[in-house]
Amino acid sequence: MKDMGLWSQLIYYFAHNGMYVLNQFNQTFLVSIYGVLLGAIVGIPIGIWTSQHRRLSPVVIGFANVIQTVPSLAMLSILMLGLGLGQNTVIATVFLYSLLPIVKNTYTGMLSVDRDVLDAGKGMGMTRMQIMTTIRIPLSLSVIIAGIRNALVLGIGITVIGSFIGSGGLGDIIVRGTNATNGGAIILAGALPTALMAIITDLVLSFIEKRLTPKTSSAA
Amino acid sequence: MQKRLRQWLAGLLVVILLLPLGGCTLPGLSGSGKDTVRIAAQNTTEQQIMAYVIQGMIQHYTKLNTSIINNLGSGNVSFNALKNGDADISSIRFYGTDLTTILNEKFERDPAKVKRTVTRDFQKRYQMTYFESYGFADTYAWMVKPSYAKKYHLKTVSDLKKLAPKMTVGIDQIWQNRQGDGYPAFQKAYGYQFGTVKPMQLGLLYDALAANKMDAVLGYSTDGRVASYHLKLLKDDRDFFPPYDASPVATNQVLKQHPELRSVLNRLVGQVSLKTMQRLNYQVDDQLQEPQTVAKQFLKDHHYFEGGH
Repeated sequence: MKDMGLWSQLIYYFAHNGMYVLNQFNQTFLVSIYGVLLGAIVGIPIGIWTSQHRRLSPVVIGFANVIQTVPSLAMLSILMLGLGLGQNTVIATVFLYSLLPIVKNTYTGMLSVDRDVLDAGKGMGMTRMQIMTTIRIPLSLSVIIAGIRNALVLGIGITVIGSFIGSGGLGDIIVRGTNATNGGAIILAGALPTALMAIITDLVLSFIEKRLTPKTSSAA
Repeated sequence: MQKRLRQWLAGLLVVILLLPLGGCTLPGLSGSGKDTVRIAAQNTTEQQIMAYVIQGMIQHYTKLNTSIINNLGSGNVSFNALKNGDADISSIRFYGTDLTTILNEKFERDPAKVKRTVTRDFQKRYQMTYFESYGFADTYAWMVKPSYAKKYHLKTVSDLKKLAPKMTVGIDQIWQNRQGDGYPAFQKAYGYQFGTVKPMQLGLLYDALAANKMDAVLGYSTDGRVASYHLKLLKDDRDFFPPYDASPVATNQVLKQHPELRSVLNRLVGQVSLKTMQRLNYQVDDQLQEPQTVAKQFLKDHHYFEGGH
């Protein structure tokens, strides 16, 4: 093995362990997605609710901020005490970390909707519910997606660290690489797909975000 | 006001609906569902290979789901995972280690006695079943680089005596203060101590030795890196280090729920020799193969041990 260069080692590694890497890739991706999805299910309503009760916004966002300041390894360990080892603990951690970007962006998105448009809606006799579903949410969707995008990229990073509490995934490959003889290629074999996953999800979501950005311009 | 109340109730309902998610497995994940057997593996190559071997066997013989809880830091962590119900099977445990670290009993040299005590006490105190050994035993061994051995004519551990005060040696973290066969007892048995002792993670020892950061290290005899770095093992001429038979351990709870596991694990008894384990370790540590890949190939080569039992 030692006579091969780093890149040929890497290719050799993928050729022999391709299925394994693919499997770990899926696991990492799913854990991050599930965490963020739960974060969105809980965070978006909280963000909308906060935007309707602005007095409470410092409390809610402050709370989400506090969660964010806990280092991820500490958070994983704390949650491990209650939830035990394994993937569910990592999903819970990703969920907690995704709250801040999602809540904050939903809140900001809701407030940044043009007052004139809201007034027009009101003038047309729309109910609060109609204003919410046909004006506020569609117009702030791109900002909300931007929050989800942040959360997901963050979540992938946390999931990889989750390897330390036995959740598996690409983090396992990286950790094993640090233990193996001449593990450089193995470390890359874990780190490159991780980076790729983060970059691709970021690109895809930024594309969706652009598509959803309202095209009406009040300036024209 | 009525409307407010309704909104609150709706919110509450969503939260309540989400709560049970914590207990179940989301689609696509090998989580902690009801019919999932969870196998705990430590962060050593050997542990991980055997965890995947057990997983492969369970998948071959039963319809149960399996997941592996990987990278646990020590034997204590993986034991606690079993005790707390986070895992069902520990891929490798050693009678000798568990006697002193888990059961807190006095060190004992007679292997048969150790096996009897540990098997009985695990059953009684922790409701866990210790299986018969896979067929290989781990033992600590002092190792040096061949050039170093040649220079000072080293063959046995006793030969280190005159060099010891000037030596820098690396050891496994848990060995330093271990009772019975740890460093304190070692000093008594061999009558010398080393100049500088650096405790570190097991995996780093071999690299440190190969990089000339250490004069000698205390590693595992089964490790694949012994072969890949061509390290020289020094003979334990005072028979100080006892061999540790390697066995899987399962909780009685999982054996009761899925009685078929017992026969699956029993198929592996005596099937993995020291030479085999060294070869498997070497494939992972040196040949860029994942433990899972190596385990699968191993099982396929042996037809999942269908002949035995």
